[in-house]
Amino acid sequence: MKCEHCDIINGNSKAKIIFEDNEVVVAIKDLAVSPGQVTVFPKEHFTILELVPNNILEKCANLANKVGVAVFDGLAAQGTNILIKNGLGANQNVPHFSIDIIPRREEDGLDLTWAPKQLMEDEMETALMTLNKELDNVLKDNKEQETKSDEKVEKQGKGAKKEKSKEDKDNYLLKTIRRIP
Amino acid sequence: MNPQDLTEEQRKELEEKLKKMSPEELMEFQKQQCIFCQLISGKIPSKKIFEDDTCIVILDINPATKGHLLLIPKEHYAIMPQIPEKEIKHLFTIAKKMSQLLLKALKVSGTSVFIANGLVAGQKAQHFMIHIIPRKDGDGIFNIEERLIDNEMIEKVASLVEVKFNELMGIKKEVLEVKAEEKEEHETKEEKEIEPEEKESEDETEDTDEEKESEDETEDTDEGKESEGDEKESEVKAEPESKGDASLDDIANLFK
Repeated sequence: MKCEHCDIINGNSKAKIIFEDNEVVVAIKDLAVSPGQVTVFPKEHFTILELVPNNILEKCANLANKVGVAVFDGLAAQGTNILIKNGLGANQNVPHFSIDIIPRREEDGLDLTWAPKQLMEDEMETALMTLNKELDNVLKDNKEQETKSDEKVEKQGKGAKKEKSKEDKDNYLLKTIRRIP
Repeated sequence: MNPQDLTEEQRKELEEKLKKMSPEELMEFQKQQCIFCQLISGKIPSKKIFEDDTCIVILDINPATKGHLLLIPKEHYAIMPQIPEKEIKHLFTIAKKMSQLLLKALKVSGTSVFIANGLVAGQKAQHFMIHIIPRKDGDGIFNIEERLIDNEMIEKVASLVEVKFNELMGIKKEVLEVKAEEKEEHETKEEKEIEPEEKESEDETEDTDEEKESEDETEDTDEGKESEGDEKESEVKAEPESKGDASLDDIANLFK
């Protein structure tokens, strides 16, 4: 599968890497919302946010924040937007999780706003109930996943079964989010 | 509550009041005025999805789409650079869980995790928050086109950002990247103290009057536009500069 972010890591891209270590990359991409955009992503090919292990995600988040400070200073930005496009529905166009840092200035012509909706009280209630109902499952899932990845580190190679159930979960998420091109 | 709703007289009165306040008083005043601090303390009711020691997640009452979540740190920060590293990391892991929740419960085909730092970035409240927005094809949110950036521009941006970024990371030479990264926590602070000249000049401008930061930074093209922010700036310029980082606090202080 062609992946622009993997290409950047492998040096097959016009993008310029300004920082990398063995887990993460900070790059200026040649395809961006605005010329000052900086993108942070893990080296390993994770398609969506939900698949990124917490330790890698934390590292990306911290780097994104540092980049945000750097563009305030370096590019004299007056603000920043930090955006994760997660899934096709959110216009994710590279199948490799990333955090975009977009420097902002007045009248830069970027529109990252939305028209606020006025929902009826009962619609809000339904949303609240639907989410609260599912929350426990998600938190439980996450806990399991975290324990699993801990175990994985401890005894690599064993636990083929666990691997499989993790895969199932991944597949489920990918299905939910639909295939990313 | 909303500065835009005040009459001219009330606004002036408020300005006077703000000028007389000490930084501590002002910070306290800001917190009292902050709707989100009141949501967190329960003074204003909200539709809460999740809560832990450091943050809460609530439904946005004026959502972009149904299920739009706001992830809010309990501590009052205006913008992301003010937040301690540990908290940022935590917030993002919670954002991941909440995104997963939206995908599962609402069966949407994506989520946008969005942060606005500063008025020009579309930040509406003076309390930092992460938006997690359920997305579907063609919902018309964030219609931003990506475009090709030419090599020259990439190089220029890279060199400008890289210098600052390396300072923040405590990296002296590129070769030492990996090692330097591990030490980042300790070094960042030191680096900040010996930060470059521009900061000082910005500090001065801020002390004297509300003429904004601007020119001294880089070859930026639209300096003139900044004057529009002057009025807002004047109202809040006396705010605490706890981080000692003028340009960041300017962004944070752009809120009335």
